[in-house]
Amino acid sequence: MKKLLNDPRDFVDEMLDGLVSAHSTLKLGGESARVVHRASGTWQGKVGVVSGGGSGHLPLFTGYVGEGLLDACSIGNVFEGPTVGSCVEAIQIANGGRGVLRLYGNYGGDRMNFDMAGEMLEDDGIRTTTVLGTDDVASAGPAERTKRRGVAGIIYAYKTAGALAETGADLDAVTAIAQRTVDRTRTIGVALAPCQVPGSNKPSFTLGADEIEMGMGIHGEPGIWRDKLKPADAVADEMIERLLAEKPNNASTRVSILVNSLGATPLEELFILFRQARKQLEAQGLAIVQPLVGHYATSMEMAGASFSLCFLDEEIEKLLAAPAHCPFWKVSA
Amino acid sequence: MSITPSAIASVVERLHMAMDGIEQRLNEADAKLGDGDTGGMLARVLAKMAETDLSGAVDPGTALTALAKAATIATGSSLGTLLATGLMAAGRTIKGRESVRVGELSEMVAVARDAMIARGGASLGDKTVLDSLDAVADALKGATTSAQAAHAVAQGAATALEAFRSRPNRIGRARMFGDGTVGLDDPGMLAVKELAAKLAG
Repeated sequence: MKKLLNDPRDFVDEMLDGLVSAHSTLKLGGESARVVHRASGTWQGKVGVVSGGGSGHLPLFTGYVGEGLLDACSIGNVFEGPTVGSCVEAIQIANGGRGVLRLYGNYGGDRMNFDMAGEMLEDDGIRTTTVLGTDDVASAGPAERTKRRGVAGIIYAYKTAGALAETGADLDAVTAIAQRTVDRTRTIGVALAPCQVPGSNKPSFTLGADEIEMGMGIHGEPGIWRDKLKPADAVADEMIERLLAEKPNNASTRVSILVNSLGATPLEELFILFRQARKQLEAQGLAIVQPLVGHYATSMEMAGASFSLCFLDEEIEKLLAAPAHCPFWKVSA
Repeated sequence: MSITPSAIASVVERLHMAMDGIEQRLNEADAKLGDGDTGGMLARVLAKMAETDLSGAVDPGTALTALAKAATIATGSSLGTLLATGLMAAGRTIKGRESVRVGELSEMVAVARDAMIARGGASLGDKTVLDSLDAVADALKGATTSAQAAHAVAQGAATALEAFRSRPNRIGRARMFGDGTVGLDDPGMLAVKELAAKLAG
């Protein structure tokens, strides 16, 4: 697989250098130099919202640092959790004196490192809470929902927790809205072609030239079925059907949908998918609010797309509409 | 025989050198169950550990703690963080002691194993690196010289890898492949086996 890079060992650091020099609202910090935070800092009295995760998923995770979203984000090597040290530093940087929410995807390494970081900071008197993104419906059955992995849908929780924190709400309220948003968000992906970790000499999975895999995760985690490529409408219909089958009990008739590229799939194809998804949702009597179509959570050059549905309630809808500003997602007042 | 910081440094150096020959094999084993980076990650961790100057370490416990810190700086992957957790726990049990006997290695590995279970949430039998450490702790019982210990570690790690090949992975990313993991080596277990074989060889 061809990649534009220098030494694979410098992939993450050079990427971060470029990211913060292209976007003056972001700053690279910490002794680890693996924490991206707001250039303006976290204001005193604000609850901090911190995330973290491996590289290779831009705009996730670091790209969502900004006003009305994250305060800071620790970042690991490609597809690896962020180090304990960078998690400690991200929490310290985001500390405005009223506690910090750790909001990240449900992955083993990320969990261990954020847990250790929280334990280390207890003595410093920084109160932390945790909410895990668990939106990938294909990663475990409904009975094991807490084992599900976090994928693109986590950005809805970034948005609501970030917006509420900006109003001066306390840590418990910010944590509760993040958890409620995760609980009401579902994602499913479909993969068309794999990606490759820089420095590795093989793609992270194989898929036949004419095959797709429904439900595949963002690191090539196995999905629900693998079969011949189908027309976009058939793929979109199945994805919507699978997401609606997992609709939360208390869902209203209003949803936000995110049609996301896994990396290589172009906007053109995303819009073809969106058009059919919208038709299906409306046929079910659902109204679409604030649709998002684009590259929001990727796996480098992986081809494919994911659909996320956030089943709105009044507060979530209001917070989604609140102003936000990061390099990859802007919401104006 | 006793374990000294300089003996620990030389083991780390040998493990670091050994990665050259097995890095891609571990990546390939991982690509079947995960994302294909176990070899690259371990190479980076061992390089960072090998860079760590242990000449100033006053005792073996301090040396293990320094190596744990190096691992946490090099990676945040679950396997790397578990390795650091194990080193730190083992280092803590011998903290402040100038001399540690080879005969105590079995107990140190057991302490590391238990700390890693507590941190990562896996259980014995889930087909992870913990099952390798469990077998290694067992094999080390009675080893009193470094040659015996190296042989015991290699034998324990190889036995565990063989015993678990026909079983499914039950935790982490590999869990999602379910029965598809039967017949495949867990990359973490394979790493322990390969590195131990190099040390003994």
